[in-house]
Amino acid sequence: MNSLTQVPAWLRRAAPIALVAAMAASSVVWAQYQKAPPDFGGSYSFPTPTHPEPKADWMHVVDVAALVTALSAGAWLVLRRRTRGGVLALSVVSLAYFGFYRQGCICPIGAIQNVTAGLVDPRYTISLGVLAFFFLPLVFALLFGRVFCGGVCALGAVQDLVLVRPVTVPEKLDRILRWGPYLYLGIAVLFAGWGLHVTLGGWQIDVGRRFLICAWDPFVSLFRISGAFHMLAIGGVFIVGGMFVGRPYCRWLCPYGGLLALASRVAWKNVSITPNKETDCGLCAGACPFGAIERLRAHRGRCVSCARCYESCPFEIERRGGPSAEVQFARLVKP
Amino acid sequence: MSERSSRRQFFDRAGRLFGFVTLGGAAGLLATRASANAVYQVDPSKCTSCDLCRTSCVLSHSAVKAVNDFDKCGYCMLCPAYMDVMSMPDEKGVPTGLICPQDALKRRVVGTVDPDDPNNNYYEYTIDEERCDGCGKCVKACLPPAGNGSLRLEIRYDRCVECNECAIQVVCPDIAIVRLDVPGIPPPADHSVVHE
Amino acid sequence: MAPNPSEAPLPSLRERLWRRWFPPVAVLGGIATLAAAALRARPEPSPSPGREAAGTGASRTLPMAQASASSLPAAVAPADGTLARTYAPVATIGGTAAAPPFKRSLLDVALGPGDEVFAMGDGLVRQFAADGRALAQWPVTDTADCLTVASDGRVFVAGAGRVDIYGAAGARIGGFAVGDAAKPASLTAIRVLGTDVLVADASARLVWRVDAAGRVVNRIGDQQKTKAFILPNGRLDLAVAADGTVLVTDTGRHRVTFWALDGTPAGAFGKFGMADPADFVGCCNPVNLAVTLDGTIVTGEKMIPRVKVFERDGRLIGYIGPEHFDRMVTQIHLAVDSRGRILAGDPVRRTITVFAAAAAQERGDV
Repeated sequence: MNSLTQVPAWLRRAAPIALVAAMAASSVVWAQYQKAPPDFGGSYSFPTPTHPEPKADWMHVVDVAALVTALSAGAWLVLRRRTRGGVLALSVVSLAYFGFYRQGCICPIGAIQNVTAGLVDPRYTISLGVLAFFFLPLVFALLFGRVFCGGVCALGAVQDLVLVRPVTVPEKLDRILRWGPYLYLGIAVLFAGWGLHVTLGGWQIDVGRRFLICAWDPFVSLFRISGAFHMLAIGGVFIVGGMFVGRPYCRWLCPYGGLLALASRVAWKNVSITPNKETDCGLCAGACPFGAIERLRAHRGRCVSCARCYESCPFEIERRGGPSAEVQFARLVKP
Repeated sequence: MSERSSRRQFFDRAGRLFGFVTLGGAAGLLATRASANAVYQVDPSKCTSCDLCRTSCVLSHSAVKAVNDFDKCGYCMLCPAYMDVMSMPDEKGVPTGLICPQDALKRRVVGTVDPDDPNNNYYEYTIDEERCDGCGKCVKACLPPAGNGSLRLEIRYDRCVECNECAIQVVCPDIAIVRLDVPGIPPPADHSVVHE
Repeated sequence: MAPNPSEAPLPSLRERLWRRWFPPVAVLGGIATLAAAALRARPEPSPSPGREAAGTGASRTLPMAQASASSLPAAVAPADGTLARTYAPVATIGGTAAAPPFKRSLLDVALGPGDEVFAMGDGLVRQFAADGRALAQWPVTDTADCLTVASDGRVFVAGAGRVDIYGAAGARIGGFAVGDAAKPASLTAIRVLGTDVLVADASARLVWRVDAAGRVVNRIGDQQKTKAFILPNGRLDLAVAADGTVLVTDTGRHRVTFWALDGTPAGAFGKFGMADPADFVGCCNPVNLAVTLDGTIVTGEKMIPRVKVFERDGRLIGYIGPEHFDRMVTQIHLAVDSRGRILAGDPVRRTITVFAAAAAQERGDV
């Protein structure tokens, strides 16, 4: 397997030469101020300066490998095994790795900005790792639905774990809020590609290219365990709000979720609930905290593949070795 | 019913095809231009030591530290970046005030040492990175003509978390933080002033 | 069929852990982490004075120049009337009337036997008449740093490890190497005294006295405690008085040192100080040196760029303040003509200003 950085060989060889040339050039410029360093006598020799290297390239390969593994595992756990416990365990592992270990950066949500900047400005360089983080979850969404959201996304994992008392959001409100991701996506793409330069009467807005998604990331201060006050406040709001509202960021703000929703609507395989005319018990719809089940079918765009519906379905419980569906229904029906 | 489902199947398939083609095309286009992971670095020829490196980094202890280029350093006893040359001198005539607010600039005498006269000695200046917070006061004091300009601010990659968009770069008034494909010091601006 | 809640199976321990305890633990963990992050918050950022100094206009030259100039200390000038001589600018060579003759650099200034001005810069040596008319010019190597003119009119140009000798109209008539070929000597000043050539080597931190063929006769500066001069800024300057005394700058110790030609030390004067105008400021001064025919010593400083004139015993008798020079100069090229006028070359502005002393008797002070 090729190194993910895929830097041409000539560039790899040229890099240390370029560094030395840069340092030599800088010393040539300053030559008018300082001649050759003097000999201090004694046994002194100039210390070699230390320049710590940035993160090694192979670690970026590990990140992409972890992403592929997690996405595949998520697809298998949700669509094949149909087990909530498995998806929950996967999301905890993803939270640990992509969240607390990698401190939430690099992430596909932020990669939207890199891809936008790369498409708009040919001189903007992107690494293959960032490209993989942007495109792989979308490819999996086209194939298997929003498995990224369910088991891999660290932000989603945080919101899933803090959900104690889901409240059903009124349908009319949800219908409006559902446009949030696309609005945020448009603003983020605008700022990531071009910035904003407008003059409205006396007001002038002159903002260069900014990565807003990174600046307003709700949980990065949690992952880094440090941050400015406004970042901590946003994190607090989403944690406390997420206790009562299921995945508020995912449903109403996440721009990448908007893209995944579009891809998931035409997915090849997806979370599917077959209405059983004989029962129509609706337990799945009651279990879903995200309002993704409409008329007893999972809405392919809004379902985040959390597998809660499978957990609650009596037929799935029976398939997993529990009491038969008849017995379960018998226990539920009032005398 | 089957007509509805076959129409839906058609739209699904068309949508998937469109999705794959679009994603594949964009990915292919960007992959041809892909390079190694870019890093951010301070361009010393533009930096004016404005103190924002200390406060704007997402880390509470900034990843920007001062470094001393030893081949340019004068090893002065009366280093204008180490001591405040305007401060009150002691009985040997050496100013007593220090520039660094964190006492991060350390020095030791090197070479042939004269224990009787401090003016006779050369000093090697190093920065204690645990204390340095990237404020740049020493960098500013070392600039020519007072010093040789050997001190400069640098983003240290053992501390930098390599954000997608460097938070210091956003606020730097001199556009002195640049995004490099190869780690290193950005080449300096051309300092020759030519009157035509 | 009756539901009987008491008959419903209890959830297993595993189910209880997953469903009942995970969410509250996650909530508490998240809030605790945010609280920890809040407690690690950095202190209030201090106001940043550098931002005001940096400015936003396109008219600034280099940001480093502006930042440095705003942080340089102010000069303390001697009070009016306390000095025996008052210097004032009387002429400029390469001034504003015509286009400045040096486009990129002014490396050194020297005077010929008839007070012709030889200035080196832009890779050339240019010769001017005493009134400023351009006479001749010829190219030199790009490592050339300093020059001097012998009493017979030969021009000696020294640079990295070599000395080139030019005759009339710039024809190269000889030269020699100084120091080790592997580690070229950093020659920053040169003077000619009869058959002796004195070259100041900033990397060896000594003055070499060599003969016309370049063979070392003796060293000047090694008969002292540190066996060499202390040079933080890598520039060593020298001058030769009329009686044969060699004067050498010792910038690390902020003084001018005197030596006999054979290297015997003969005294020194000067000390560090930021307040007294007679003292030398900053980390390494005086950077430049010249002597007048009557034996007074002219020094040039950086950081607070100024030219001072001293008696042999160290008394300050003349002061040319920083208002005449660019604040960014790292040296001021000095030469003194036969009338005692001081030529000061500003390497940043690339102009040569001529300063003359008003006669002290006319002021009635002395």
